[in-house]
Amino acid sequence: MSTSRRRTAAVAAVVASLSLVATGCGAGSKTSAETATKVECDYTAPSGKTDVNVLAYNSSSVDPYTNTMVSSCTKGDVTVNHEPIDFAGQVQKTTATLAGDSGTYDIIETYSFVIPQLAAEGKLEPLDDFVEKHSEEYGLDAINENMSGAMTYDGKLYGLPMQAQMLIMAYRKDVFDELGIAPPTTFDEMRDAAKKIQDAGDIKYPIALPLLASADIVTAYDAALGSLGMNLTDPDSMSANLDTPESAQALEELVSLKPFMDPQVTTFDQPAVQQQMYNGSAAMSIMFSGRMNDLTLESNSQFAKDMAFAAPPSVDGGDILYDTISVDGWSIPANTKNDKDMLFEMLASSVSEKASKASLPAAYPARDGMVTESSMPFATAANESIAGVPPSEPYPWTASISNAITPMIADVVVGKTSIEDGTQQMQAAAEKILAESK
Amino acid sequence: MRRREFAMLAGPSILVMAGLLLLPLYRTIQWSLQDVDYGSPGKFVGLDNYRQAFSDPRLADAVVFTVTLTLLVTAVLVVVGYLLAAFVNSLGRSKPYVLGLLLVPYVIPHIVGATMFSWLFNANYGGVVTYAIEKMTGIQVLWMTDTWPNRILIALNIIWSMLPFAMLIILAGLQGVSAEILEAAKMDGASPVRTHLSVIVPSIRGVLGFVALISIMDVVRTFDPLVPLSPQAVQLGNESIMLYIYNVAFRDGGQDLGLGSAINVLLILLIIVLLYPFIRGLAKEARMR
Repeated sequence: MSTSRRRTAAVAAVVASLSLVATGCGAGSKTSAETATKVECDYTAPSGKTDVNVLAYNSSSVDPYTNTMVSSCTKGDVTVNHEPIDFAGQVQKTTATLAGDSGTYDIIETYSFVIPQLAAEGKLEPLDDFVEKHSEEYGLDAINENMSGAMTYDGKLYGLPMQAQMLIMAYRKDVFDELGIAPPTTFDEMRDAAKKIQDAGDIKYPIALPLLASADIVTAYDAALGSLGMNLTDPDSMSANLDTPESAQALEELVSLKPFMDPQVTTFDQPAVQQQMYNGSAAMSIMFSGRMNDLTLESNSQFAKDMAFAAPPSVDGGDILYDTISVDGWSIPANTKNDKDMLFEMLASSVSEKASKASLPAAYPARDGMVTESSMPFATAANESIAGVPPSEPYPWTASISNAITPMIADVVVGKTSIEDGTQQMQAAAEKILAESK
Repeated sequence: MRRREFAMLAGPSILVMAGLLLLPLYRTIQWSLQDVDYGSPGKFVGLDNYRQAFSDPRLADAVVFTVTLTLLVTAVLVVVGYLLAAFVNSLGRSKPYVLGLLLVPYVIPHIVGATMFSWLFNANYGGVVTYAIEKMTGIQVLWMTDTWPNRILIALNIIWSMLPFAMLIILAGLQGVSAEILEAAKMDGASPVRTHLSVIVPSIRGVLGFVALISIMDVVRTFDPLVPLSPQAVQLGNESIMLYIYNVAFRDGGQDLGLGSAINVLLILLIIVLLYPFIRGLAKEARMR
């Protein structure tokens, strides 16, 4: 090889290497300046270099809070670190970091579903004393009481609420208007609407639900069961309600929607359902509110302008909707070695009024009075959804039972197991977990 | 070599091997006999985890699926890898370019490759292959929810990602075949097919055995391609042993590291059984030399 060719090759190699490094840096930093709002974060810094590691999954509704914390609370010798991670990764790392006497993370994103289990196991720090001490400074009295209640276990607050996610129906207003269909308020109406849209010929599978067999399907079952007025378990008698007629009906109702959904719906998670709405292959979907703002962005879909929102329907026409609410918040692991007062100030600053305002419209902030039609295109739907949500089940065994019955629900929905057998299997699995919890 | 020099040179490797191989193996066997949760000391339960594993029909399904997948994919890798290697070996100046192109799937991380692969078959993300098949035949293939199409999809992806390795190793073997022997075969009037079957293949038998051995080890441990390619693996009976271990150890009903470890021990035994003929063959060949 001649000298000039070698030099050219060397330059090309250096350019390629630098490009890769730059690409890597870009991918690693999710603390985007775009969504980071600067707020007061007035903690007393400890002496010496201190690292605070934050565990929070990336989504358009959680990122604003995480980014605010990282950008506002990193100062002097204190560095707040956050690495990008998806929700499944967060679940795994939460278990690992809370396991021993010391963990990797000092602040973790939690949600109402897991609080009872983690709190009962003594893995989280109670926050009540910190709230009392810093309430005025960070305006914590404006945080919605019900949302604080969702992060409370046995009378103690274990997570400072940042935002709530509830199920919302998104639908194509242009399609509905053209066919003279109103947003459905029951599953019967939803099936009728879907039939009309199917018959019109343009959209083969009008309904899109996240029914991923390994995860989301249990949320759908729980929402249907709740809408029929039944909880998973009865904490007083420590018995499960999974072999009840309501449980069978909840499964029947989910199965009854299959003719109107993509035949591969049991492989669809929420991003896949968003994709169906983006590309126009579905006309209505029910997902968590954190996914809704993405549907209104023209950069995502040519149908963005045609998206409209409503509260999810009830299964059989009752007052309780096919719905569930998940409150996201910040918790402090009991095994962190950092100063817990400092950590609390960091998480309090990230849910301050200014930070919460900046999270709109992607998130439904936990602060009262923030969500209006002008601040969030699906505000009415979100508020109606909250009003009709089934009661929560804040028990330590709820998460374990949900995990255990997920494959059984999937077996029923795909037709591998009959509804009767499925409910019996689910009941047996739940009773076993309840017996261990006694 | 002096004893001290040997210790200095081999010491670091032995330490790394002990830390990354023996310690985890010891822990896995220990946990397989315990009821274990993260961060808490395990409680000895004897062979309960093994009993539980053998009583779960999912284990048998996972073993049948994994072993069948492994044998079929390995056979395809060896045969198609050989054909590709022979083709590349016959090329002239274009050889490095073709070789570079064929190696692309090998350098793509499995999970990324499998995700991109899934989009070719998923109508929701374009699904070019599905679209083409539907246009040509009028049949809508449900790659993710029908058992056999999903199995074909998984096998195709693994073959796509591992074929470059098989081809590369076999190519190295082909380049080592003596030109004199090939010349002699030609002079004796052997056809190209006869030359391959009777001269070249026997000459590189050890290389082919090595490719089969590595392929079996890799395919038996299939995990990440199933995440994007078979989201409904449990319901379809397309759950590999590694995915089954992950599901019981970390997902279904919470954490069950003891049961997961017991299945892991069974997997190690299965790998030894599958590899035994190849290891014995390689050892025999080494002794003959």
